[in-house]
Formats: sequence, C-alpha cells, structure tokens
Amino acid sequence: MNGLVLRTMAMLLAAALGAIATGLLLADHWGWALFCTTLIALLAYHLRHLALLNRWVSGASTDPIPESSGVWDEVFAGLYRRHRLEVRQRRRFARLLARSQQAGRALPYGVTILGPDMQIVWCNDSAEAHFSISRESDIGQPITNLVRQPEFAGYIKSANYAEPLEIATARPDELILSIQMVPYVDSHHLLLSRDVTQAYKLGIMRRDFVANVSHELRTPLTVLIGFLETVRDLKLDASRSRDYLNLMAEQGHRMQSIIEDLLTLSTLESALQPPGDERIDMAALLAQVRNEAESLSAGRHSLSVEVEPGVDLTGNTGEITSAFSNLANNAVRYTPPGGSIRIQWRAAGDGAEYCVTDSGIGIAAEHLPRLTERFYRVDRSRSRETGGTGLGLAIAKHALARHQATLAIESEAGKGSCFTVRFPRSRVLAVQPRSVALN
Amino acid sequence: MANDHLSKQFDNELEALRSQVLQMGGLVESQVRGAIQAFSNGNLSLADQIVATEVRVNAFEVQIDTDCSHIIVRRQPAATDLRLIMAVTKVVTDLERIGDEAHKVARMARQIHEHGVVDVQHFANIRHTGDAAVNMLRQALDAFARLDVEDAGRIITEDRVIDFEFKSVIRQLITYMMEDPRTISTSLDIIWIAKAIERIGDHSKNICEQVIYIVMGTDIRHTKLEMGADGKMFPKA
Repeated sequence: MNGLVLRTMAMLLAAALGAIATGLLLADHWGWALFCTTLIALLAYHLRHLALLNRWVSGASTDPIPESSGVWDEVFAGLYRRHRLEVRQRRRFARLLARSQQAGRALPYGVTILGPDMQIVWCNDSAEAHFSISRESDIGQPITNLVRQPEFAGYIKSANYAEPLEIATARPDELILSIQMVPYVDSHHLLLSRDVTQAYKLGIMRRDFVANVSHELRTPLTVLIGFLETVRDLKLDASRSRDYLNLMAEQGHRMQSIIEDLLTLSTLESALQPPGDERIDMAALLAQVRNEAESLSAGRHSLSVEVEPGVDLTGNTGEITSAFSNLANNAVRYTPPGGSIRIQWRAAGDGAEYCVTDSGIGIAAEHLPRLTERFYRVDRSRSRETGGTGLGLAIAKHALARHQATLAIESEAGKGSCFTVRFPRSRVLAVQPRSVALN
Repeated sequence: MANDHLSKQFDNELEALRSQVLQMGGLVESQVRGAIQAFSNGNLSLADQIVATEVRVNAFEVQIDTDCSHIIVRRQPAATDLRLIMAVTKVVTDLERIGDEAHKVARMARQIHEHGVVDVQHFANIRHTGDAAVNMLRQALDAFARLDVEDAGRIITEDRVIDFEFKSVIRQLITYMMEDPRTISTSLDIIWIAKAIERIGDHSKNICEQVIYIVMGTDIRHTKLEMGADGKMFPKA
C-alpha cells in the first residue's frame, strides 16, 4: 500500500515538474495543459483497472484474474495469490468431503442421516437397498413416509433409541433389518440399519432343529414306554407279547437310525479333510443303489437305471453312495405304487450328472428352498409312515457339497420330481477310451 | 411440497397431512400383509390382531378427514394444495376400504382354518395374488409419497395382472367344487378372499389415479390409458 501511494506521489511529482519545466520553456498554459493531460491519463488508467477489478469481483469465482500493468499489477498479483490458495483449499475440502462420503457409502451398514423433522438428508448405498429409497429423489422426504411399518413409526415416535428394533422390510424379497437411531449434531439423527436376515433365519432353524430332534426321538420313545408298561403290568400270552416286543424293537431301530443319521451329519460337518481322491467305481456303486431301491420298492414301481460306462468319480465312496441312495430311496418312498422311477448317470457338459426322476407326489414350490433342512417335512404324517428319518436330504446335500457337487431340484406338486446332482470336471475321471470297450 | 407458501405454518400443515395419510397407509399395508400370512399359514393370533387394528385405521380416517376440512376452512387453498386435499380425502376412503378387505380376509382365513376341510397348500396362487396386491399397495403409497406420476401410471396397468389372477383362482375353485361338493362352503370362503384381494388391487389403482390428479390436475378416473411414444401413460382423449 505504501509503495502504491509513494509511486503515485512520485508520478504526480514528475508530472508537476515536467509541467513547470514546460511552463518555463514555452508558456504557462502549455504547462497546465500537460499537467491536466497527465492527470486525466492517470485517472483513466486507474478507472480502467477499477472496472476490471469490479468485473472480476462480480463475475464467476472461476474467472481468471485480469491482466494488469503498473501499480495495479501488485494488487492483482496479491489477489491472484489469495485466490489460488482458496481454490486449492476448496479442492482439498471437496476431496475430504468426497472421501468421507465414500467411506460412508462403502459401509456394509445402512447409514441414513435424518434432519430435525426426520426427513432424509443423506443415505448410503446399503440404506438405499434396505429401505428402497433413493439418494437422488428422496432427499427431504420424511423417512416415515417411505418406511411405513407401524413398528418403525412407533420407534421413531417413542424417542427411546436405547434398544435396536427389528423390522421386516415391505419388499417382495423380505429382509429382516436391525435398526437403531443415534442422535447426531444439531438435532439430526443417524439411522443405522443392518441386514440380519441370515442370523434371523439361522435362529429359527436352530430353534426348529432342537424342537424337531426332541420330537423325532420322543415319538418312538413314547411308543416304546407304552408297550413296556403294557408288558410289565398285564399278563400277556406268548404271541401277543412277541408282537409287542417286535413293535418295540422296530421303534428302537427307528431311534437308532435317527441317531446314526445325526452322527453322520455331524461327522460330515466337522470333517475338515476333504474327501480323498480314491477312484469310485460308478457301475458297482449304482448297482448297489439299484439293489437298495429295489428292495425298498419291493416290486411296486418300475425302476430303470441308465449308466453311461466309463464315467467315474474321485472322492469318498461311502459318502457318494449314501447321497445317491438317499435320493433314489426318497424317489421310491414318495412315488405311489405303479409309478416309475428313472435313475441316470452320464457325462454332461464339462462334468457328470446323476438324475433321479420320478412320477411321484411332487413337491410344491414353496417347500423347495427348505427341503434340505434337517427334519423339514412337507407333510408330517406322511413322511414318518414311509419310514424316513427326515435327515436324508440334509446328509446328501452335505456329502455332495464336500465333493463340490450341486443339487438341483425341479418339482411340481402331483406331477413328480427330478433331483439332479452335477459334479464339476475336477471330480470326474477322464473318460476311458471307447475303442478299448469295443475291442 | 416444493412450492413455498408465505405462511410456513400452512406448509407444515400440508406436510403433516401427507405424513398422516402415509402412516395410515403403513398400518393398512401391515394389515393386508398379515391377513395374507394368516391365510397361508393359519396363524390365528395374527388374524385376531388384524381385526383389532381395524379400530385404529378407522380412527385415522376420521382424524384425517377432520384435518382436511379444517385446512379448507382456515386456509382456503387453491391449485395444487386444493387438489392435494381433495385427493387425500379420497385416498383415505380407499385406504379404509382396503383395511376392511384385509379384515375380511383375516376373518375368512380364521373360518377356513377352523373348518380345516380344504388344505390351504393347494391355494398357492391365492397367496401369489395376495403378494402381488400387497406389492401394488406398497408401490402406490410410495408413488403418493414421492408424487411420482410415472410410477403411478405404471402401477395402474399392473392391476390387470391381479384381475387376471383372480379369474384363474375362480376357475380353479370351480373345478374343486365340482370334484368334491363337501368343499363348497370352504371354497365359497376362499372366493371371498380372492375377491377381497382383487378389490385391494382396485383401491390401490384408485390411489395412483389420485397421485396423477394431484400432480397433473387431470382426472383420469374411468378413462382408458394409452402408452405414449416415450413410454409414459396418458389418458386417451
């Protein structure tokens, strides 16, 4: 500033001296004329720069600093430095903000920021998915307008956020969310949501499992105790008591097979080592599966087995046998007499597949996802009378999963079912050359 | 709403009115959802709960209607605001009727499960139709919350799917009754349920029509919709 004043003063002084010199040399009015012209030029110069400055100040903030000369250069240079610093700082803040928003967006939890009137201020991707809201269109909308479950409205209204709330979402593919409100700056709130569907289902499954095990074991036990008391308290003739003892033995075997199945399952589950690489002779294995199915069917069904020769598996023979015969026996159990059952083993695509198709009672679509759960029964009374333990498919699924195989079930109630097991290429041994077989 | 009024208070009143309608909608939504569940898995305590919720829905209807007339008297609204209030009184009636239908479904579900003549498992398609109706109601309320005309137009056309499913349920029931006359009384109960679900779809459609009325000011009730070149729906002239 000082330099500015000094330089202007110096300029005026020079103009004055020049004017005096001119006045002395020529005439007085020439001196005045020179002095005035210099002053007007100086004024014009300042006005021009003032106009430039004004235009820049009132223009967009991104406009470049105007070009300048002379004393104004210093002013503009100072402005330019400050401007650049600000731009740099603004960029840094924008980057920081973007980064923290990205962090918020990447969180696996749903985060929604709610304003003082519970309107949506911001939400991350998970929250968008949880509540079916959108960061584009729903900002400013009160959250209860879109998340309308009465429990949720009650939770918000209660203003007591110590405990999280569990609600089911209203979407077709229902999610269970655990929701918690956290007070935040300026009477804002953070709404945290977590998808607990899996845990919820697991909890239900565990509860069902315990209830089912007790139930499945108690039923034969009740029968056993009933007969025991009869035999103890009543005098029975020899043939009657033998009948009763036979029935008791049957129930005892039933309990035994349930416990054996449970143990098999737990061994499969806890076994850390993958099944070995021993070669499984599929022809022999399928012959065994056929024998078992035929003895169970006792000639009531037409059974056909088609085996493509030369396609063998590697893995654990016992596990694969139990899985395959479980599927075949199920088909026999759930197909009324006179129905047909078709068992196929063949190379398919990259790997191999095992198909059991029956013309049985079929399974309604809503049961399919839960079919391999332990003790899951489509029709309670029916399954027990056919003599299953309720664990067969669970065992089969585990045994197959250990061999990287997948189990696909297609079924329609009343029309029959098709269970298909697909093995990946890595489990299938190279098909033996056909020419050898032909020779 | 986006346009600001001189009186902030008026804005707040309209906003509160909308929120109230949507809360009532949430209550009705959960009622319908519960009724369908009670039918498909025979959860009778759920059915009782739905019957009890009815009172709350009715209270909401009376409250919102009173609020509407108060706003009209005090604020003398015009344009969008007036349309909003007119639409709200109609939406509320539709919601209350949906609540009634849910109530009906719950009552019938109770009867059917107490009789136990027919296995409900055979009526997977009713549940399917019910789920479609619940979904339609949810989307209709979402469209009302967002005042989204495009969504509303799309949902209106979805009602046809439910009507179609209703007809297929009726066909199935007819074959059922012909096969075994003992199932007639239960089948009739199931027809009531199917009809109630079909009505829920119709009422949801009405809500969407009101959304279009609020935003565009055109009354598209009892008109046929046409698909425009840009994929949007508009009423046929």
